[in-house]
Amino acid sequence: MNKSQWVNSPRLDIVIAALIAIVSTSFALVAWRINMVSSNAGSADRQGIIDGIKKQAFTNENWRQLYTEASAVENYAVYLADIKAMEASQDPTVLAQAANLRQYMLPNLLLLATPLATDPIYQNADGTYDLQKRFDSLEAANLDLRDLDPHASFTLAGCYFSEQRWLTVVTVVLATSLFWLALAEISGKRIRLATMVIGVVVYGVGSAGFIISELIFFFLRGGVL
Amino acid sequence: MTELTPQPLNPDRYKTLVVILTVITTVITAVVAGLNADASIRASLSNRDSQQYAILAEGELQRVSLQSAYDMNIFTGYLLDAQTSTIMSLTANQETNAQVVADSELQSILAQARADAAQKFSIFFTDPRYVTKTQGGLPNMQAYLNNFAATAKDLVIKQNAAADNYNRWNRKGDSYTSVLAILAISLFLFGLAQALSPRLRLIFAFFGLSALVAAGLSAVLIVVG
Repeated sequence: MNKSQWVNSPRLDIVIAALIAIVSTSFALVAWRINMVSSNAGSADRQGIIDGIKKQAFTNENWRQLYTEASAVENYAVYLADIKAMEASQDPTVLAQAANLRQYMLPNLLLLATPLATDPIYQNADGTYDLQKRFDSLEAANLDLRDLDPHASFTLAGCYFSEQRWLTVVTVVLATSLFWLALAEISGKRIRLATMVIGVVVYGVGSAGFIISELIFFFLRGGVL
Repeated sequence: MTELTPQPLNPDRYKTLVVILTVITTVITAVVAGLNADASIRASLSNRDSQQYAILAEGELQRVSLQSAYDMNIFTGYLLDAQTSTIMSLTANQETNAQVVADSELQSILAQARADAAQKFSIFFTDPRYVTKTQGGLPNMQAYLNNFAATAKDLVIKQNAAADNYNRWNRKGDSYTSVLAILAISLFLFGLAQALSPRLRLIFAFFGLSALVAAGLSAVLIVVG
């Protein structure tokens, strides 16, 4: 059977019909994958928002604790100055009051201001305290907070969204392939082989795009599908 | 001489044209669906960003409220003690009774000691942005008010921009959905055209083409707008 006979034979019709079926199935497969990727992106985004809210709640609590301690330490410092001034007096009544305040009042105030007032790592040279360092310690000490990383979830979601975009491009390419194959099915004898070949080539490009996109994003996500 | 007889109308007339129009509509539908997916992704990302900025702004507002309460408590404590010291000192100068003078002087010294201790902790006496430029003058409270909410304001501006972006892409997504609905009507008309007589086929093909052109123009306007 020569080329002219083959082009005119019903076999080519069957080949084109089979190709249309393959491209349609591939289209459905890519559409399913887009749906999966979109769903994964939404889930990662949602996880990121939940982690963000939790992280902010922990951070808010750390700020509250920091300023509670800071107020206590300032209160302690003011009382200490007060007692020191009393101790400088010559009046025995005032001295007795100062001694009792130092013995009974100051330790309690110090307890409230712990660890900001007691840990030397937070003390500045001028007698004040490094609040930022204390806040960083509170943040670092919170194990729950350390495990929460909304940006990791957002990055993962971004990766899925990028894949979704590329897969959408693949569907457009596959639709174009369908266009050429449908054209081959209805066109005249002379151009049907050419349009079929174009359709197959476009399908090949679309399929390659699908496989490459899947592989690239699979590795970008560290082996997560 | 032979009599001219009217040629019967070919029942498959214009079928190829309708098939081509159908395939073109399919490709345009795929492209618009792709644009719709892209708009949806952008809307999702903007929505997520706006939520994230809202969480951060809420956290920052809570932090600044804690900080301002702390700063103001110290400052009012300082003012109270400094004024008490001054008043007690004046009292000591006014009085002639030795006991009252001694008590007032002691009260003045103690209050001054407390005020000096509080001053070290006050942002209004330690931060060069707020420290008073004149002897005995008040700190630059306006600069403090401007600065303390600056980060929160910045976050709210970003949140608003992200929310606007979300609305913009969401509207585009909705518009693409309308275009897809018009394209579905176009496909329906082309499908119906295939089943009808050649004359009606042409009429339906024309209506389908009109819908296709309208959808195409709308899609272009949405992309540009």
